[in-house]
Amino acid sequence: MDSKSKKILVIIPAYNEEKSISKVIKSLFDSGHKVDLVVVDDGSKDKTSIIAKESGAKVLKLPFNLGIGGAMQTGYLYAKKNNYDVAIQLDGDGQHDPLYLGDLITPLLDGRSDMIIGSRYVAKTEYQSNVSRRIGMIFFSTLVTLLTGNPIKDTTSGFRAVNRKIIDYFADNYPSDYPEVDVLIRLHKKKFKVMEVPVEMKERQGGTSSITPLKSIYYVIKVSIVLLINSIRTGALS
Amino acid sequence: MIINIYILSIIFSVAFLALVIELVRKNKLSEKYSLLWILFGLTILLLSVSPFFIERISSLINIKYAPSVLFIFGLLFLIVYSLQITIVVSQQSKKIIRLTQEITIIKEKLESSSGIQVDSEEKATDNSLGESEAG
Repeated sequence: MDSKSKKILVIIPAYNEEKSISKVIKSLFDSGHKVDLVVVDDGSKDKTSIIAKESGAKVLKLPFNLGIGGAMQTGYLYAKKNNYDVAIQLDGDGQHDPLYLGDLITPLLDGRSDMIIGSRYVAKTEYQSNVSRRIGMIFFSTLVTLLTGNPIKDTTSGFRAVNRKIIDYFADNYPSDYPEVDVLIRLHKKKFKVMEVPVEMKERQGGTSSITPLKSIYYVIKVSIVLLINSIRTGALS
Repeated sequence: MIINIYILSIIFSVAFLALVIELVRKNKLSEKYSLLWILFGLTILLLSVSPFFIERISSLINIKYAPSVLFIFGLLFLIVYSLQITIVVSQQSKKIIRLTQEITIIKEKLESSSGIQVDSEEKATDNSLGESEAG
């Protein structure tokens, strides 16, 4: 419960988010949580890193685009090197509300779980999503439930907090492609505990989603294959 | 005609072997990856010397049209070798990602602790990388 003695890092992965990044940083500072912030600029071609720096954030600027997996891992590596106890992913597009940070941090510090996912679907929230996206979410949720026995609803949510054990693990093992769903299987294999808490998500405040409707079917197939392969990698995930 | 094609393939395999060895000598191809190609070159050379080997092999595995032995083994070799190359590429991309992450963290530390700005220089590399990526 005592979050003052714990070092907490918020990692914002951002790729071409110049329109929303300052708002996200401001809302994080305004939320009053005692946390450190690092923005991982994933090789943006716009002014993301300049704006983030002006807004008072520490910026890790990757020289070129690594993708969300590589960018997030940079954040976890930074968290590990600087001895953080908790690392939280907060997307740079403004979908995640920093007001919910406490809800993610508290169960983690209580030791109830190793990873907390801020979930859109645990309780009724205002978040609206289209039908095809919804079908994909249900599909992944069912698949993850089957493979791990853990009924996680919002498997693609990027709003997540992890403890030190997982920071160390992620610093060395984080999938570069489609990490959100994939890590759930990996963590299950490694016997980490994953839990969801309800959050409300807002509409994107700029930029475009990494998952466009055209690519979504392709995405679903690829992720499913990755998941199935991971689930037969008998504990040898390193 | 038969003599011609055999001479041609002997010339080709010798030239190919010479090219591989030259590439290794000039450090353009690492020894590790040259072995398979040298083996490949020697096999072609052996097969070019006389039709005896191909005919022997094809009768052994019951293939009526001898040259198709060449096609099937050539094809298999290429498939296996492309798989090998994809493995190498995967390993390299993993290493590149880790290097990029480490450098980015070190760069930030350097800039924040000593005030050294790597930005102006960084801009130039940024653009070239962006272009090569888009292309």
